[in-house]
Amino acid sequence: MAINKQHAIDPDKCTACTICVTACPVTAATRKFRGPKMTGPALTRLRKLVSDDDPMLDYCSNCKTCDLVCPSGVPISTLNMIAKNEYYKTHPRKSKADDMLAHSEKMGKLITSLPLGSTFANMGMSIGKAFNVMGAMGIAQSAKMPAYASESFISKFKKIKQNPYLRKVVFFSGCYINYNQPEVGVDLVKVYQKNKIEVAIDENFVCCGSPMVAGGYIDDARVNAAKNAALLKSWVDRGYDIVTACTSCGLMLKQEYQELFDFAGMAEYAAHMYDSIEYLAKLNDAGEFDTNFVNDNTKYIYHAPCHLKVQAIGRPSMELLPLIPGIDIEEADAGCCGISGSYGFKADKHEIAMKVGSKLFNRIKNSHAELGVCECGTCRLQMENGSGVKAIHPLTVLRKAYGL
Amino acid sequence: MLKTTVVVIGGGATGVGILRDLSMRGVDAILVERDDLGYWTSSRFHGLLHSGGRYAVKDKEAAKECIQENTILRRIGRHCVEATESLFVRAPEDSEEFEQEWVKSCGECGISAIPISMDEAFKLEPNLSRKLLSAYRCPGAAIDGFRLLWQTVASANKYGGKAMTYKEVTAIETENGTVVGVKIRDKWTGVEDKIACDFVISAAGSFAGEVAHMAGLTVNVKPSKGTLIAFNHRICNRVVHRLHKSSDADIFVPHGSITILGTTSIDSAPDDTSTETAEVKAMLEIGKITFEEIYDYRILRVFAGTRPLYSADPNAKGRSASRGFVALDHAHDGIKHFMSVCGGKFTTYRLMAEKVCNIVCEQLGVNEKCHTAEENLVDDPSPELMNRAKAVFPSYGAELASSRLGNEKLERVIKHIETDPEMKELVCECENVTLAEIDEIAAEPTSHTVSDVRRRTRLGMGTCQGTFCAYRSVGAINKENMPWAKDSVDLLKDFLETRWKGIRPVLWGNMLRDIELTRAIYDAALNLSGVEDIK
Repeated sequence: MAINKQHAIDPDKCTACTICVTACPVTAATRKFRGPKMTGPALTRLRKLVSDDDPMLDYCSNCKTCDLVCPSGVPISTLNMIAKNEYYKTHPRKSKADDMLAHSEKMGKLITSLPLGSTFANMGMSIGKAFNVMGAMGIAQSAKMPAYASESFISKFKKIKQNPYLRKVVFFSGCYINYNQPEVGVDLVKVYQKNKIEVAIDENFVCCGSPMVAGGYIDDARVNAAKNAALLKSWVDRGYDIVTACTSCGLMLKQEYQELFDFAGMAEYAAHMYDSIEYLAKLNDAGEFDTNFVNDNTKYIYHAPCHLKVQAIGRPSMELLPLIPGIDIEEADAGCCGISGSYGFKADKHEIAMKVGSKLFNRIKNSHAELGVCECGTCRLQMENGSGVKAIHPLTVLRKAYGL
Repeated sequence: MLKTTVVVIGGGATGVGILRDLSMRGVDAILVERDDLGYWTSSRFHGLLHSGGRYAVKDKEAAKECIQENTILRRIGRHCVEATESLFVRAPEDSEEFEQEWVKSCGECGISAIPISMDEAFKLEPNLSRKLLSAYRCPGAAIDGFRLLWQTVASANKYGGKAMTYKEVTAIETENGTVVGVKIRDKWTGVEDKIACDFVISAAGSFAGEVAHMAGLTVNVKPSKGTLIAFNHRICNRVVHRLHKSSDADIFVPHGSITILGTTSIDSAPDDTSTETAEVKAMLEIGKITFEEIYDYRILRVFAGTRPLYSADPNAKGRSASRGFVALDHAHDGIKHFMSVCGGKFTTYRLMAEKVCNIVCEQLGVNEKCHTAEENLVDDPSPELMNRAKAVFPSYGAELASSRLGNEKLERVIKHIETDPEMKELVCECENVTLAEIDEIAAEPTSHTVSDVRRRTRLGMGTCQGTFCAYRSVGAINKENMPWAKDSVDLLKDFLETRWKGIRPVLWGNMLRDIELTRAIYDAALNLSGVEDIK
């Protein structure tokens, strides 16, 4: 497969220092996983030599905490994902849910294209749960699945009237915002317009491929990456910056594409890619961020998603949200929530995911916050599922503070 | 005092081959080795089972022997041979005329050399330099020196042959011009003993001159040092040769989890295993022609061994000396029933043993023919045993452990893990070696150091070069029952020193970072250098 050589996907950089093992949330939760060092660089050497059953590959959730802590710059989780992709070419899949969860866009498209599709789909999920249909599909019985919206973000976007501005961004909404939480996308347009930014979308964008990679379908992700990378490059060539409001989409487009694939122009567009809040924080640094907020006396607790941390862009939400008068916001700083995209929905991983997230759930409960805040859609779902406290996107907080 | 018919001196490929051959013919034999099996030349090589292609142009006899033995060993030694096949590739620097002559010669020697397009070659081996011009597939293979030796001995054991390690021969005793026995001394206990015998075969390789000297004879061995580089992972999945007149640093062998590049040829002392940075740099420059990105690959270590080249002319040196072997019957020098075997190639170890044993058996009046090509060195593990192995070993561990241990020990190790599941924990994560395997091998009477355990398990031979498994293995070895394992500090120092020896000349890049971690653990955290003061 075409591996980007610049990123040196080989086991040579690892010094076996084991820091990744001490930081891995899954290793801490289950002894079934021997940790990132072993599954990544160590076994990469042996996989070149022998073939064997490798149940551990499934336990890596691709949260990328290992990559973050590695002092040697080894793309450990990506080594795992590549190995997983290769592995399932010759081995039967263990979870029936893999295909559906990895290709969530297919599902989203189908459901939102039918009249009342979302109503039936959401109802179907609760009925299905009652009859253990989900269990038969490999979905954890007690997992709270994301609900589908009745109208996609793209459809909603077309109805929004925008003022034209010189500063233009193209918004890569991603599947979760498009099909599950379109209102977050609307929040982005409103907040950006308030800051004199014109937002474009591109209906030709396809799923970033993050769930495909995590599910061991890198070859499918490659098809999507080729399409998205060419489109993103063309937007940047036309003077647009790119923003995402999902940190997993952002990480995938900006960094993982380059680790996994070798398409032209990726480094060029990646230099113009921002997380939606990071982009506003940049305006704030330049003194161009609109701070005409109304009071918000809500008590919030902020959780930084793993895929934001690994982008090494700091905590832009914790820079901007405290600027809102009256706000009470603190960072949870309690590690991974456990869900890792689709990992925690799987029947055999749900318990691990809840165990990984337990520190965060307790932290949220003990904070007595009214609302959780997080950039990642499935993290928010997991936070709600684990703590009972509703969680929203920081853009939603900003929109409310602007009184929009 | 022990008694046998034949004493074989030297536990390298030649010696164990002779031990097995004699044993299978029903001749009583004991092999004595001064160090561990395969401590010297027989592990200090590429790990290459030649197809004969390398010798096809220059030495057709050797080439034919190679392909013949290659075919036999791939059959009887499939638990130490990895049938990778080999590629011969021609670079712009290499002569086109030579290529034509080589193709013709391979045909004449019966070596299959299938021409393939460069597109095909790059598909098979993506890391090959795009500047290469032609490629041929040949039946070369990788072979594990340590495993071949132990498996050959295991096969000899079945027929009553014995091998004793750490027994140094101190004298060869004669009566009336005929050999009657040898004196030996145990390296660890210093206890001396005698083995009475009718025949002595010196298969001491580069040390053959020293052994002959004990009987007052002269054998002209010209040891020639070859240096080899071990890379951290498999750069290629096939053996890759440069298609040109044999030269330095032109063979890459995927050896287990690593790749070995070699070699060089420098006249040396028999025990010279030293290596220098300059040699490594020169080899990398040549290796770069085959694999352009060679400087990006992490070097694990560098090692060297000496070829026991024999020359009747005491002035002949280096590559021009014959790689063929000689069996010197010292009856011509006035001592009967004493023979020295010199030279030869690892690939043809079985054939060499056959030829030597034919001579010996004739003198002993034994008519039994050689059977060594007919029987596998070790039996295949049964599917039931492999299923049990797969159930207890961590991923990728069962097959590796099976080939390292052999059936008998494999079954014991499996049983051990079945009764105590904690024993499946990995001591060496780089090479996938379990606690149960360490326990099994450390308890062998042939184990006296952690390095002995290493040679049989690959403990400490991977990426971290012992950083993590040194303290784990020293901690894990059951000290109650093993007198040699009492002093943990000495064990650690000895083991780390052997690892450090191979790393010192290549201390740059990722290996430098790794060794800093080693230093932090052993020097800073454990204060291993300062511990003498406390003791």
